[in-house]
Amino acid sequence: MSIVLKTEKLNRFLGEGANRVHALRDVSLEAESGQTYAIVGHSGSGKSTLLYLLGLLDQPDSGTIEIAGKQTGKLSDDARTALRNESLGFVFQFHFLIKEFTALENITIPMRKLGRWKEREMNERGMSLLESVGLEDKARRLGNQLSGGEQQRVAIARALANEPAILLADEPTGNLDHKNADRVFDLLSAISHERGNAFIMVSHNPELAQRCDVVFPMEDGFLKA
Amino acid sequence: MSLGGIIFGVGFFIITQAQTSGFEQFFIRTILGVNGMARVEDRYQSTMRSMEAEEGSNFRVSLEDSVKYISGVEYPEQIMDAIHRFPEVTATAPVIRGSAMLIANFKDQDCKPYGIDAEKHFQVSDLELQIIYGSIESFQKNPYGVLIGERLASRMNLMPNDSLLLQARGKSQRYRVAGIFETGIEQVDKERVYLHLSATRTLLQRPNGVSFIQINLDDPAKAPVFADRLGPVLSHSVMSWQRREKTWLQVFSVLRISSALTVSTIILISGLGMFNTLVMIIIDKTREIAILRSMGYTRSDITQIFMLQGILVLFGGVILGWAFAAASTYGLSKLPIRIRGIFATDSFVVNWDFSHYLWAAAIASIIVVIASYFPARRAARLEPGAVIRGSST
Repeated sequence: MSIVLKTEKLNRFLGEGANRVHALRDVSLEAESGQTYAIVGHSGSGKSTLLYLLGLLDQPDSGTIEIAGKQTGKLSDDARTALRNESLGFVFQFHFLIKEFTALENITIPMRKLGRWKEREMNERGMSLLESVGLEDKARRLGNQLSGGEQQRVAIARALANEPAILLADEPTGNLDHKNADRVFDLLSAISHERGNAFIMVSHNPELAQRCDVVFPMEDGFLKA
Repeated sequence: MSLGGIIFGVGFFIITQAQTSGFEQFFIRTILGVNGMARVEDRYQSTMRSMEAEEGSNFRVSLEDSVKYISGVEYPEQIMDAIHRFPEVTATAPVIRGSAMLIANFKDQDCKPYGIDAEKHFQVSDLELQIIYGSIESFQKNPYGVLIGERLASRMNLMPNDSLLLQARGKSQRYRVAGIFETGIEQVDKERVYLHLSATRTLLQRPNGVSFIQINLDDPAKAPVFADRLGPVLSHSVMSWQRREKTWLQVFSVLRISSALTVSTIILISGLGMFNTLVMIIIDKTREIAILRSMGYTRSDITQIFMLQGILVLFGGVILGWAFAAASTYGLSKLPIRIRGIFATDSFVVNWDFSHYLWAAAIASIIVVIASYFPARRAARLEPGAVIRGSST
């Protein structure tokens, strides 16, 4: 196991003037490949803010983030975007599939940007990923022709498309019923252990959080290691 | 809606240009066929004066303050020889012009006799093609044959083989109508009578010289430069057809520009429609844009996606607009319309010119690219984190 993500003394302020809030306070953490992590806390504790910083969707006011051995602080927007494409996979509370595309086409979107594989290889990889989430028979269905649980599984397959070192999930089961939530979490956990990527999940659900290898509680912007 | 606007904008642009330039080209063909590409007319002499530089001084300053014109060309053969040394000249023809009274069928009418050398004149005009009654052969065979304008013939009830009297400078001479011509130019058709050069000399009592020499060139566009070069060489005023017909050419030019500007507003409005549509799409697809950004698509990728949408509409609009324009232009060319005055036509005249199609495509491209670029840039500026966070709560 190796360290694929490392932060040091991350600070982030949100809002302006009187509404300015210190959302993250000196957050330092490390994540290793093949491990699952849960960031838990009440609403407003700063866990989603931290996840978006880790996913390079936002910039810290101070502190450093290192992903797959690269310091991200001084990278250009294009370089950060390229790193996101290659090393990070996202699963959000809402699946955010592109509804005009089929399940298979949704999965190949990150691959097309990466440009590592030919069309046939992308389709084969997409089918293989759909198989791993149990949806190989629904490859040709449009995004809006799938159930909520199925859409979230397609989103997981899409997040894994470029074999990312880190899989980030923001309340991935928050929009699912208990049965589907269990299934999605088990899938994410199994895939991470099997493929060796670090899985970091933000969740309100303490039951699911306890099933992760490491739990980071957050409170008022502080991460309690 | 935007696609439809581009199709009709491009289409109408081409149709109006085909019409206006069609009529302009037809007008030019007509006037070149009647009056030629250039004319050598009056001889000029510079009149020089001089004045003392200082009172009592022998030093004098010459002043070139005016030009004296001597009507007509005194030595036409020598002048034509000189003109033929210019490589762009293909033919020259001498013409004597005058005024006379035409008397026939108990009526009389002022007219303009034009004395021509038939063989030479047919090489600098379309007179042969403008004969609508009678024949050019009967004119060539009969030294007292005349070709008479259609409006004048109609007014005087004259038909081929009819006899007429021309009266000038107190002298009358009888002629026979060999043919009736129609140029479509009202002023020409209602007053011009073509006679043989020798017969005109007798009628107008002009034994020497001619009124002007009509010139044909290998390219009408060369006429202004040719006229500027020839004038000083011959010491005669030389007028190109562009200078002679300046007023009409300007009218056509203004019409063409005006119609292009008017029709371009259709494309402009389509561009505004496209701008609004793209802005609405971007508002609707904000989440998808954020997801694409989170998956590694750069700002320029997002710009390209939305520019591509605009370009697809542009491509479809231009191709369909071209097809619409070509079909409409063809249909228009078959539409009957009788025009007489500055030219004669019995149907719409159109000009098939690919440059109209390229201009229409260029204008549509500029408008669509601008209309697509700003919404696309707005899409690219979206911050994915803020959008996704907003959607998650």
